Amino acid sequence: MYYPYIIKELRHRHNRTLVNILGISFGIALFISINALSSAYKKAAGQPFKDMGADLIVQRAQKQQNNPGSQPKSMRGIRLPFSNQLFSKQDLIELKNLEDINAAAQALLLWEFTKTGFTSIMGVDLQQPALGGLKAKNWIYKGRFPDKKGEIALEKHFAKFKKIKPGSSFMISGQTFDVVGTIEIKEGAQVSAANIYMLIDDARGLLGKSTGAVNLIYLGLKDPSMQNRIKSQISSKIKGASINSSDSFLELMGGVSMISDKFSLIASMVGLLGAALLIIKTMTSNLVERSYDIGILKAMGWTRADIQKQLMVETFIQAIAGGLLGILMGYLISFLLGFLSISIPVPWEMGFVPSMAKQTQALNEIVRLPISVSVSLSASAMGLSVVIGCITGYILGKRTERMKPADIFRQL
Amino acid sequence: MNNILTAANLSKSFKALQVVKDVSLTIQNGEFACLVGKSGSGKTTLLSILSGLEKPTKGRVSINSTSITDSSENELALFRREKVGFVFQSFHLIPTLCAWENVALPLFPVKMDKEIRKKRAIELLNQMEIGHRAEHRPSSLSGGEKQRVAIARALVNRPEIIFADEPTGNLDSETSGAIMDILKHLNKKNGMSILMVTHDQDLAASTDRIIHMKDGKVVS
Repeated sequence: MYYPYIIKELRHRHNRTLVNILGISFGIALFISINALSSAYKKAAGQPFKDMGADLIVQRAQKQQNNPGSQPKSMRGIRLPFSNQLFSKQDLIELKNLEDINAAAQALLLWEFTKTGFTSIMGVDLQQPALGGLKAKNWIYKGRFPDKKGEIALEKHFAKFKKIKPGSSFMISGQTFDVVGTIEIKEGAQVSAANIYMLIDDARGLLGKSTGAVNLIYLGLKDPSMQNRIKSQISSKIKGASINSSDSFLELMGGVSMISDKFSLIASMVGLLGAALLIIKTMTSNLVERSYDIGILKAMGWTRADIQKQLMVETFIQAIAGGLLGILMGYLISFLLGFLSISIPVPWEMGFVPSMAKQTQALNEIVRLPISVSVSLSASAMGLSVVIGCITGYILGKRTERMKPADIFRQL
Repeated sequence: MNNILTAANLSKSFKALQVVKDVSLTIQNGEFACLVGKSGSGKTTLLSILSGLEKPTKGRVSINSTSITDSSENELALFRREKVGFVFQSFHLIPTLCAWENVALPLFPVKMDKEIRKKRAIELLNQMEIGHRAEHRPSSLSGGEKQRVAIARALVNRPEIIFADEPTGNLDSETSGAIMDILKHLNKKNGMSILMVTHDQDLAASTDRIIHMKDGKVVS
């Protein structure tokens, strides 16, 4: 093997070399960006849960009412969301007995309907772990989180809209509460957001219930990969429970997420196949151009294996260069995609605003795309480009088998 | 004197066209023989068969008692690398390689010290009196210089026989004379066996033996 000959050939046919390197690099860049995008969507879907510190949210939706007479006559005052009916004592015992649960927190979510609109109210128990709605106590913007009866904290934008500051008072369902703080909901945690936060006993009081009323349970798992098993356990023990996880968001995302999830492999393989076909095509044309040289090499005693080695190293070098360039391009594309924010649709049962309020407040989480190119993805891309190089080199080598020096010289 | 090359009943057909017809000949060790004939008489095809570039349709070829007729393509390639030197009318140099690299071309697949390889190539170029052009590419060499590079390349693997196909065909008469002098020198001083194809009767006359071909047959 004489490496300067390989380099001289690549430099001499620089246009073809460039086309091959760019072809592979586009294929590799496509492979990296599609896969990075796919992972980013999955990460984004998990972001609301990650920010809440919970793996699962357990709720119970109201049963379908076929009898119109059973519908409430008035939609005023304090109501339980349709998707958040109260759990029974037995339900809570069943949940408490579940294995593989690392932490659990309970909350009571209420809606208050007034003439002018509605508010969502989250009652939390400060004695419980900081999961879900309880995370809000870590997101104080001004003042403090309520720790006594009769105190509330308002979500920052809600407070601004209502022109209420800490130190003032606020009326809920005819009762006056002291506003002790405002809360800034972190990105991705909108799913656990409410307009008003208070102690769970105050929320129970508003609902007219005494102790034990709970309609939201946040669970942190010891091993998040056991999510599906625990989901089915809960479903079997608590009839009618709806259990949401990051998968619930992914299912609703559809569109790009479906493409990236289901078709990312196919799309990236098509990209790579395109790159491989391109290099085979250009190198085959190259072979036709170089048949004279190959005739000389064969006449001078180069065996098919010698020529195949030469061609394989040539394609290998181009594949490596294309692979490295492709990885750089993939990083660049991924970096640029990282500036995008995506809208994650919230499952309806987790939208803590009434469904009729969709016009005013979309049930979406806006999350910055958490895109990143992992070392393993880069290594896979590099491995694939090497495979492309080896396969095309082998195919080209096989094609030289039929080339006879005497035939080539006769055609000159 | 021993025969370095023996060909028996060689025939070669391309579909229905028979270009070599039942040719038998021998070349003796250290002989400078010349194949002459009109264009289309089959001399280049015969040379290709004798040198292992092409397989005959019928007949046998052996060089130094080794038959090459039944050899595989791979074995033929190794045979050409180790036993045979070629000089072509169109020089057949690799355009991307410089003169010394072209000379060393048959040695690249061989495991050997690259300095020794280069030294051997440069020595041969010096013998051909073009050592000063060792780093030049074929595009910057004259016809005569290219043919000297080709002759040096034919010698680099220390062959047993050189096959030269119209080596002066693309050269002016003065350069042709110089190239013939080199070939004659190789034959007389080094005892190199040479089989040359030409249609130039004057050049043929300066060799040891003339083999005439007509319509694919050896006629004298």
